[in-house]
Amino acid sequence: MTEPLLAVRDLQKYYFEQDSFVDSLLGRDPTSVKAVDGISFEVERGETLGLVGESGCGKSTTGETLLRLREATGGAVTFDGKNVFEMDDDELKTFRRDAQIVFQDPFSSLDPRMTVGDIVAEPLKIHGIPESAGDESKREWRRDRVTDLLERVGLSANHFDRYPHEFSGGQRQRVGIARALALEPEFIVLDEPVSALDVSVQAQVLNLLDDLQEEFGLTYLFIAHDLSVVRHICDRVAVMYLGNIVELGPTDDLFESPKHPYTKALLESVPRPSTAEHGRRVEALPGDVPSPRNPPSGCRFRTRCPEVIPPDDLAIEQGSYRAVMDLRDALAVGDVNQDHIWDAADPDREDTEAFIEEARARHVDDELRDEVASVVDTALGHLAEGEVDRAGETLRNRFESPCETRRPGVGDVLHPAACHLYEGSDEVIVVETNAGTAAEADD
Amino acid sequence: MADTILSVRDLSTRFFTEEGQVNAVENVSFDVENGEIFGIVGESGSGKSVTALSVIDLIESPGRVTQGEIWYRNADLAEEFRESKPDAVDGDLVDIRRLPEGVRRSLRGPSFSMVFQDPMSSFNPSITVGEQIAEAVEVQRRARSNPRSTRSRTQGYGLASLIRDSLLPSKSYVDDESMDRAVELLDQVGIPDPEDRAEEYPHQFSGGMLQRAMIAQALAGEPDVLIADEPTTALDVTIQAQILNLLRDLQEQEGMSILMITHDLGVIARMCDRVGVMYAGEVVERGPLADIFDDPVHPYTQGLLGSIPDVDDPSGRLEPISGNVPSLLDSEMPDACYFADRCPKAMTDCLTRIPEYELDGRHSVRCVLAEQEYDPADAVDSVDGGEAAGEVSADD
Repeated sequence: MTEPLLAVRDLQKYYFEQDSFVDSLLGRDPTSVKAVDGISFEVERGETLGLVGESGCGKSTTGETLLRLREATGGAVTFDGKNVFEMDDDELKTFRRDAQIVFQDPFSSLDPRMTVGDIVAEPLKIHGIPESAGDESKREWRRDRVTDLLERVGLSANHFDRYPHEFSGGQRQRVGIARALALEPEFIVLDEPVSALDVSVQAQVLNLLDDLQEEFGLTYLFIAHDLSVVRHICDRVAVMYLGNIVELGPTDDLFESPKHPYTKALLESVPRPSTAEHGRRVEALPGDVPSPRNPPSGCRFRTRCPEVIPPDDLAIEQGSYRAVMDLRDALAVGDVNQDHIWDAADPDREDTEAFIEEARARHVDDELRDEVASVVDTALGHLAEGEVDRAGETLRNRFESPCETRRPGVGDVLHPAACHLYEGSDEVIVVETNAGTAAEADD
Repeated sequence: MADTILSVRDLSTRFFTEEGQVNAVENVSFDVENGEIFGIVGESGSGKSVTALSVIDLIESPGRVTQGEIWYRNADLAEEFRESKPDAVDGDLVDIRRLPEGVRRSLRGPSFSMVFQDPMSSFNPSITVGEQIAEAVEVQRRARSNPRSTRSRTQGYGLASLIRDSLLPSKSYVDDESMDRAVELLDQVGIPDPEDRAEEYPHQFSGGMLQRAMIAQALAGEPDVLIADEPTTALDVTIQAQILNLLRDLQEQEGMSILMITHDLGVIARMCDRVGVMYAGEVVERGPLADIFDDPVHPYTQGLLGSIPDVDDPSGRLEPISGNVPSLLDSEMPDACYFADRCPKAMTDCLTRIPEYELDGRHSVRCVLAEQEYDPADAVDSVDGGEAAGEVSADD
């Protein structure tokens, strides 16, 4: 295949908290929020790559960082052979013409005090287009061009002098698309372009995007959380979870034979609008997405994964192992409160057996057997004595998963999944960027 | 209607705004049967939330329910008002719109309760989650000991109470028993370590956890009908799956009925037994799930189903409905089928107001196609071709 239009390598974007001058005077260490943590992908010319994930997984940050709207913390982005992060002013200006973005919210991304015509003409003015307009004045040339654009996206010429508030959400999104098209870009980042729209209007805009791509040979990076939209419009899809890409593959392949347990769970969760859906019970993923301030070690998904891998020398069923891992996570984040367990089991705090019994009833979802049961009981015994750390350590010594020690990477195959269950997902070593070197001001 | 718990008839709600009268809900009728999940689906501005608020009597000025009946099955209430308000009683059913204000208010909690869309803005950020749930429990406990007492903490605001509260040491509104019940409720909705979480403030909860807490609060009065207004719209799909499972489990455990409001046809398909489709303030089609999804009659229902990309099948182009959602201003609403100007099958017969046609007793539709075939010769030429929306609509 020819050289991809856009190549992203190990892109990182951390936001830093407690990073102000006052904080440094007070000697506080900056803490990082790892919004995007070492992701790599390529976008071929003329294709639509979908970037999907739940809120907070870093997909919008990725879109904005690769356009250099936010300063990256690490990694490189190559557009048309040039490194975007090392461009000088002239190159950057050219890049800004070639790469555009359409934002999610059509209500806040248009200036309410400019007419629609001025909004769409603004990029032309900024880039000094046209350089010469022949017989017409430049203003007239731009007016004609904007009128063409408005008509192309399904608005009409007499909308030119109206203000954004006079339009519905779908029409405003069309204005945003016309603005992105004004400079005849090659590449457009579509950041959730239809998620604020109603379904009937959403379908209109999706069809429009499809047509425009064909007509102008555009390349899209389509950021979305709605899997059915992604399936409809994308050629390839990257699934993100907590700042990482967990799976990347051709759309049909990924939807029909998902590999990563997270992708499987996402696809399983989507409610289908058909009668066969009625009463379908989804095995919902337990818990919430962990905080990107303190993401889990190893595989980011291991705290919720229904297929987490037990140690080699341990015979244990997945259900039991998941229950033990959940107990470990609960201990680690302080969700296990000994006082409440004692109050319920034995207010005099003498009967350790009763404590263990009660703690198991509360925090272990599965019937444990043999060795597993005895190790868990030992750990809960430590807990009864108030030694939370020791309880956690006891569990870790016996139950440590390869998923928490090694971070799976996206391998170099057609449809890679960053999961230890698959070959081709090599371990990645992500260099923790030093917070001190990355003083930045855009958060 | 033997098993109907709630029967809404010809309900209309209007908002009297400065721009004019807005017909948010118009002649809406539907039944919710005992122990079922009834879904109302529609796009934004179709009046589905206002319908829910009208049922629970929470419409605020400048809005007002202007007509209609809301029949609710409650033998005790029926007995109580059989003598004094014979109009409002029919067997075990009572028309709650004709009951006194105080009685209607007392129904909120034990009869109807509501789960709102945005959990983050529906809780008071400065009171612990446990106390807010306990408050709902406390109100019900006080109401039970004195059934017509509707005093709640929020009514105590004012200059006098401000002075009193600043002079006297504060005392908690909720007592320990209510707090214990709140912890039980949090446990019931699947919040881990409920004793500790009850002490936390809303910002310490994730969106999904907070939605669980709001469901716990709605369960405090052990309602007959739970109204869930877009309960999962603000949540991610994996969390949505958790909440939908929870609602279904609770519905089975408690035997309550759920009125589910959503824009997501997938959620409707998973959860609901029967569905009403709303457009421009009207229920345009209503019936069992299979009838609506597999055999829709109204072109709007068909268009809505055709607009959704299928996650299991990427083929084919979407078939959207052209144009935009219409204005609901009374002065701009045509004396015709409200969908006629977007309808691909509009005929001259559509240029009058369309009544609701019964198809087979369970499936009804507000469209002339229920009675006649589409005849292209009779078509109205008011639909602009293609998806180019011609006119700028006045609504935002």
